[in-house]
This record gives sequence, structure tokens and C-alpha cells, in this order.
Amino acid sequence: MKKVTMLALTATMLVTSLNAEEKKVEVQKGIKMPYMAFPMKPGKGMYSTKGKCNMCHSWGYVLNQGPQSKAFWRKKVIKMIDVFQAPIRNEDIDEVVEYLYANYGNGEEG
Amino acid sequence: MPMIPTYINPNYFSIKIDGEVEKPVKISLDSLMRDFKPVEITSVLQCGGNSRSAFHPTPGGIQWGPGAMGCAKWKGVRLKDVLAKAGLKKNASWIKFHGLEKPVYTKTDGFVRALELSKLHDKIIIAYEMNGEALPYLNGYPVRLILPGFYSDSWVKMLSNITVTSVKPKLHFMDHAYRVPDNDCECETPDNLAPKTKPIEEMNVNSLIGYPTSGTKVKQGTELIVRGVAFDGGHGIAKVEISTDGGSSWQEAVLDDGSQGPYAYRSFRYTLKPARTGTLTIMARATNTKGETQPFAQDVKWNRGGYKYNGIDEVNVEVVS
Ligand code: HEC
Repeated sequence: MKKVTMLALTATMLVTSLNAEEKKVEVQKGIKMPYMAFPMKPGKGMYSTKGKCNMCHSWGYVLNQGPQSKAFWRKKVIKMIDVFQAPIRNEDIDEVVEYLYANYGNGEEG
Repeated sequence: MPMIPTYINPNYFSIKIDGEVEKPVKISLDSLMRDFKPVEITSVLQCGGNSRSAFHPTPGGIQWGPGAMGCAKWKGVRLKDVLAKAGLKKNASWIKFHGLEKPVYTKTDGFVRALELSKLHDKIIIAYEMNGEALPYLNGYPVRLILPGFYSDSWVKMLSNITVTSVKPKLHFMDHAYRVPDNDCECETPDNLAPKTKPIEEMNVNSLIGYPTSGTKVKQGTELIVRGVAFDGGHGIAKVEISTDGGSSWQEAVLDDGSQGPYAYRSFRYTLKPARTGTLTIMARATNTKGETQPFAQDVKWNRGGYKYNGIDEVNVEVVS
């Protein structure tokens, strides 16, 4: 599916395109953000992870990484804390990493 | 992901210009469209991480294929003209750009970008139209910064604030993100990360085959027209070549007339007649006017952000009798 889409702008999220005539009417309504549900696999630590990882972006952003190692997930969680100031306490990191790895792992520790 | 206003009233929208300027100004959308000379430019808009999923191990960022790009005709006004309205002070050296989006969590750094004044040129515009219509809302309505030749991390959407500074501003999304190793190959390994990095900025030469797509069935001995697009950071495409023998020999494709300018997609076509049945691999390789060309996919070297992938594209078609 990759090739054909490149010719169009990556504007798949486009909600409304406005010409001068419609502008006033359309804009006054505002837009509705596109919403896509990304279900989480049920498992130990799901609710805790949900609260922590769905706060700033969708779960889809996480799933998009594909199955990864435990070390990968640990690094990612720490990056969210160090770089983007995610409010996750040190003692909660393991639980999130375990959930991610148990449900979205590739079987490799490192 | 960021907090984006779901409603922007174009009648009240304005861009604020302040910092090291003679007089801070607010320019309304209406004034932007009326009081400045409109200019148009056709330019590719491409994510620095386009095709990131081709890198292994997985670098940080969205794992997409080669679809994170497009080409459109942008209409707006020169950034230079807008800055002139405020008047740059002598010590002005950097321009900071900020849009209406905000980080979801207040402690996360905002998406603020900056351009060194010495890199300002006439083709950088503040656009209010894309392909003859107002900018689509999530593409940056009502105005967006257009930096032809640069990756899209610089193309700030819903541009609302321009601040001129005398020193290089410290910004997360300039100093830590959207960077590649500052060495000749712009490469590194996960165990040996480059100590110095530089901004991704100018797009490298790239091309993609749009037709046929992999898996397409084609007929032996019948004409097959291979089509695609090539582009670079604005030097212009000199040639696109096609190989059907795994890259041993290359034949030149026919390019369009180039009338869309050096920042636009340059479309190419190449006609071939598959001689044998079975799988046929078609590769495309672009070269720009500086002589820069694309590496084979397997020779592309890794970087931690998964940026600037430009490996030679290939498709595999089934030739049937
Ligand atoms: C405080 C806000 C915040 C929280 C909480 C947060 N993230 Fe992020 N995350 C971000 C931001 C901001 C980006 C994208 C930055 C960019 O565009 O460069 C991001 C990007 C990502 C990415 C893709 C980019 C990359 O670096 O690979 C992944 C994967 C990710 N987050 C996973 C997680 C996981 C897992 C959690 C839960 C532990 C989490 N995030 C919690 C802010 C957050």
C-alpha cells in the first residue's frame, strides 16, 4: 500500500478543506479531531500503563513500534520520563516495562 | 498528539513578530493576504523520518514506510517581507517559530523551531494556500511556514509567533531532535553513537517507483511503463536510471520537463518489455545536479533517529505469459 499514497500529501487526517466561500460557516463550527481506538491487550499492569502511556499521545504511537525487546521498552519508558517529563515514578517503571514486554515483546531481553 | 485548537477564527488570527526587531508587529491573516506580494512555489514536503522502518535496529520515532511525503503548490508571502515589516535589528541572528499547538503536558517542551538568519532566502514563505485552497486544517491552517528543500520538521504549522533573537536559542526540538551524526556518512551504530550531531535540514536525493507496485502481474513481451518521482533539496534532478538486473546496469528514464521547479517532484517514466516470466525486480536511482546519488538499500547506514533514508527503491513484479 506504500507506493500509491506517496503522490497525495500525507493529509490523511484532513478533516475539512475550506475555500473562501465556506470559510466563515465551517470554521465557526470548529473541527472534530479524528479519533481512532487502539485497544490495549489485557494483562497485568494494563491499567497502570494505560494511565501513564496514553496521557500525551495515543496507544497507537506505542503499538507502531512493533514487537520489541525488554531493553527497548525500558529505554523508551525512560526516554519519556527524561526527555518529555512524563510523570512516572521510578518505582513504577518496572511494572510498565513488564506489561509492554509481556504483551508487545519480541522474546528478547536485550 | 499535541494540543491543537479545534477552532481558529481567521478573522482574528494574527502572527506576532517580536524580539530583536525595530517595532514588534501583529500581522492579521487579512493583511498577510492583502499587504504583501503573493508568491507561489511547488515543493516537496517530506518527513525526515520517511521510510524509517527500513532501519534496524528500530530507531526512535514513527515506523513508517515511504509514504511520509507529498508535493504541493504553496501560495503565501515571503518570510523576508514579513520580517521587514517589523525591521530586524543589527544584532538579529536567529528566527524562532512557534505555532498554536501546545504540548499535552505542560512540562514537556513546546514544538518551537529556529532558523539561522544567514539561511534565510527568498523561497521561504508563510503559506496560506495549498493547491489553490486554504490550508487543510490539520496541515497547519491558517498559515504554515514553508521551507522548500528542508525536511518538514522545519515547516511549522498554525504559525502564530516569530521571535527574532541575537543568540542561538536553546530548544529541545532543535538541539536534541531531528539531528543526524555530524560525520561524513551521517552514520553511527547503537553501541557507538556519534559524539556530535547536526540538524537534518536539507533533503538528500531520493526517488520512488509509484507504478508498478510490488506483486503486480504483468504480461511477458508487453510494454510496461514504470513511473515514479524523484526530488532532492533543491539542486534539481539530473537523471533517474532504471535497473532490471539487480543494479549491474542502468538505463536512463525519461524525466518530465521540470517546469514545476527544482523543489518539486520530478516525475519519470521508463518503458520496458519483460522478456522472461517469473519475478522481475525493477530499481530506480536518482542523481542530482551536484552528482549526488542514492545508495543501494543494503548500504544505507544507521542513525539513531532513523532520518534521511534514501536507499534505492525496488519493486518486484510477476511476469506471466
Ligand atoms: C509527558 C508526555 C508523554 C508521556 C506520559 C508519554 N510520552 Fe511517549 N512521547 C511523548 C512525546 C512528546 C513524543 C514525540 C516526540 C516527537 O515527536 O519527537 C513521544 C513519542 C513516543 C514514541 C515514538 C517516538 C520514539 O521516541 O520512539 C513512543 C514509542 C512512545 N512515545 C512511547 C511511550 C510509552 C511506552 C509511554 C508510557 C511509558 C509514553 N510514551 C508516555 C510524550 C509522552
